[in-house]
Amino acid sequence: MASRSVAKDIITLRGSAAIVSEFFGYAANSILYNRGVYPEESFAKVKKYGLPMLLTQDEGVKSFISNLTAQLSEWLEAGKLQRVVLVIMSKASNEVLERWNFSIETDGEVVEKGVSREKSDKEIMREIQAIMRQIASSITYLPCIDEPCKTKTSKLTPYFAQMFDFYEVSRPDTVSATFGHGSKRHRLPQQDVSLSHSHLMLFTGVFDVLAYTDTDVAVPFTWIESDPKLIANPQMVKLHSFDTKIHKVDTLVSYKNDEWDEQ
Amino acid sequence: MILRTPPPKKQRSEPMHHESPSPLVAAEGPLIIYEDSPLVAPPPESSHQPSDHLLCTYQCRQMVKADVLDALSNAEKQISDYQSKLEALSESLSKAEAERKKFKDQFLYAEQELAAAKGREQMLHDQLLKEVNDSQERFKKHLETNNELKGKLQNEMNLRKKAESSASSAEEKAADLEGKLTQFSQSMEREKKRLHNELAQLKGESKLSVSRISADLERMEFRANNAEKESELLKEQLEDLKKQLNECLNQKNEVEKKFSSFTFQEVTSSESSILIKHLQEELRNYESEVREARKLKSSHEDIELLKAKLLEEKGRRERAESELSKLQEQHISLNNLENELSLWKVIMKDIPDVSCPEDIPVKFATLQKEVIESTIKIGEVNARLKQIEVGLDAAELAKQNAEADAALVKEKAEVLKSEFKRTEHMLSLVTEERDKLRNVINESRSHKNEVADGTVVQELESSLAKKESCIKELERNLHEHKEINDRQHNEIKLLHDRLNNEARRIKSLERESDRLRSEISLLESKLGHGDYSAANTKVLRMVNTLAVDNEAKQTIEALQTELQKTKEKLQALEELKSQSGETGKLVDSYISEKIMKLKEQIATLEKREERYKTVFADRISVFRRACCELFGYKIVMDEHQRPNGIPVTHFTLQSIYAQNDDEKLEFEYESGNTNILANNYTAQPEISHQVDIFVRKLNSIPAFTANLTVESFNRRTLS
Repeated sequence: MASRSVAKDIITLRGSAAIVSEFFGYAANSILYNRGVYPEESFAKVKKYGLPMLLTQDEGVKSFISNLTAQLSEWLEAGKLQRVVLVIMSKASNEVLERWNFSIETDGEVVEKGVSREKSDKEIMREIQAIMRQIASSITYLPCIDEPCKTKTSKLTPYFAQMFDFYEVSRPDTVSATFGHGSKRHRLPQQDVSLSHSHLMLFTGVFDVLAYTDTDVAVPFTWIESDPKLIANPQMVKLHSFDTKIHKVDTLVSYKNDEWDEQ
Repeated sequence: MILRTPPPKKQRSEPMHHESPSPLVAAEGPLIIYEDSPLVAPPPESSHQPSDHLLCTYQCRQMVKADVLDALSNAEKQISDYQSKLEALSESLSKAEAERKKFKDQFLYAEQELAAAKGREQMLHDQLLKEVNDSQERFKKHLETNNELKGKLQNEMNLRKKAESSASSAEEKAADLEGKLTQFSQSMEREKKRLHNELAQLKGESKLSVSRISADLERMEFRANNAEKESELLKEQLEDLKKQLNECLNQKNEVEKKFSSFTFQEVTSSESSILIKHLQEELRNYESEVREARKLKSSHEDIELLKAKLLEEKGRRERAESELSKLQEQHISLNNLENELSLWKVIMKDIPDVSCPEDIPVKFATLQKEVIESTIKIGEVNARLKQIEVGLDAAELAKQNAEADAALVKEKAEVLKSEFKRTEHMLSLVTEERDKLRNVINESRSHKNEVADGTVVQELESSLAKKESCIKELERNLHEHKEINDRQHNEIKLLHDRLNNEARRIKSLERESDRLRSEISLLESKLGHGDYSAANTKVLRMVNTLAVDNEAKQTIEALQTELQKTKEKLQALEELKSQSGETGKLVDSYISEKIMKLKEQIATLEKREERYKTVFADRISVFRRACCELFGYKIVMDEHQRPNGIPVTHFTLQSIYAQNDDEKLEFEYESGNTNILANNYTAQPEISHQVDIFVRKLNSIPAFTANLTVESFNRRTLS
């Protein structure tokens, strides 16, 4: 295979930190869009990792994420970052609904000695692409965040609204969106989609970002020590991971069991 | 006759001729021999012809002599040759005999060895047999022990079953007894409850009686209050009427004034009389109204009294009904108690060794002890059973080992048997060869042929060598087989040990792998869950300015809306003010008039209040004086509050016939209950005696006060 014999690119610690922090920025945007934390009108499409990625245009969120990625990059270069968690909570009850967990394994030798590694950039991009696709498809099994979801239709509308948006954005040719929840799969005609757009949920959640660092890290003044905001008896889904040979990032989403599903 | 030929020579030649006839025939011509022989044979015949021979010439005789001498020498040579040959042959014979002896010895040696081998074989056979017998005996013993153990096991099982059945029966009994005990306890509790209820009922009844008395007192008080209220109402009415009168008088005066001031010319006497008549009619109307009001009041009072009586009677009826129902309940409870008592007695009769309720706990304790002992026995039996099972397992293992040993031994025996057969076969072969050898030896003995002996000896030697080689080979084979068997046994043991070790290692590894898997899953779940160790990790959160901003924005928006609303209100107010400023004067005058009127009303009401107070003070003093004169006691009333907030009225009564100021009675009135308070006066024995009789026993304070009044009056008059 010709691709396998492609020359590998040299990756330094700084480069790897930049890749990982950039990944986290795009992943956070993707999660905020797919989980409906912010309305989809506030997102704009950009091309990244070979996929159409959605970035928020809200200035507040933009600055927040850019400050976050800068700090993460700094910590990654120092080899002090162990984990980054994006927590989605209910605004009404401040209860943690979802935890997007990105665990980071750092090659200590690179941090201590400053050596570089070799890995194909394309390969890394492919791995990140896989994770982004998985994040986008996670809405098929994650419980809805709008409250209260009492009727089935109201429960389904957010799903196929988001799903259709995703398909519309990424694959404009496949207009006939198929959405699924559990074992049922339904084809969605265009008219209903437009209706579903109007039935967009009122998101009543907030998000937060936690960083698990080494104990000797100096706390920047925009950060405070916090509790880990765990979920009791969560359902966990392990997603793909990517590796730059210097930093290995594992993705895992744990979410609160949906009461509707349990009934 | 003189013989020319010596006779012994003839004799000598005879044996020579006998011995080797053939060579002589070849050497000499037949003439001499024939002549000799005939000479010998027919010597007598020769005597007949001596003359003839004498006639032979000397040459002939010499020739013959020479020939004879040659023949003699030849014969002697031959004889020496023959003698040497004989010696050689004899030597060879002796050698052969020596060899024969050697071979014999060897043969005997081989026979001895054979016999020894046979003996060894027999020994081995005997050993084998012994071992087989020993193993069989051991096997039998094991079997016997197994059978014994099985028998013991069965016995133990039977014992255990019996023990279990006895334990279960004991448990059932214990459960029954427990149930019965609980029933007893419940019945006891029920009785207690009933007794408590009865006590409570009695208490309630006493309270009821107390409340009745208090209600009576209250009635009296209510009546007094009502009387006071009536008086007040009457006073009020009087005052109203007076006011009205005053007003009318005032009006009249004003009218008259006006009349007088305005038109003393125009007003005629008729109008004034009309006015007066009007006023008088009004007065009469007022008076009639006052009378009607009084009648209404009296009727109201009667109604209230009747209502109070109704209430009392209703209360009495309810109390009677409740007491009736309680009676019925008590009857039912009595019946239940009797039934329970009978049940109890029946149950007591059922329980053995129990004659009275006190024996039940003792019996229960004994039963519990029995149950405990039986459980201990069961435990011991179980332990024994387990030991026996362990022994059985060991015995089975030993049995299996013995069977394996027996199988091995059998195999060995079979192998040895086969070897034995082989050796027997070899033996038979060897004996056959021996017999052959013997025959050969016998043949060699009988023939005494040197050449034949040599070959036989060689054959014997070869056969012996073969036998020896066979025997050595057999022995070597035996040794090898033994070594091989031993090696194989050792290898098998080693392999077994290794197998066991490997199996143990495999199990331990499997356990470790399970444990590691569980640990991994735990760790993964913890990881996914978000757990961390505080020793090397800390959790930081970015201050979510977004939320803060949002909150700030929301507050700002809320404040802005409030601002707008207040601005609108202000505007409306200002508009209203501006509007109100146009009609300012009228509104002001209207408002000021209203204010004046309200102030006047307040003044009149305050004046009324003061008037009421004065009138009430007058009336109450009159009432008090009247009470004092009618009942003979000066009553002083105080009100104060107890620490718990309940208002209490304190009455101090002093009899008008009291001889000194210390003779005062103190009462406390609280929400319908009047209680006498102890003081120095009531502590006196006469007064306390009266208090006991009238107040405590007869529950009547008026009787006490009346009696005291009478006594003090009598004392006064007597003194």
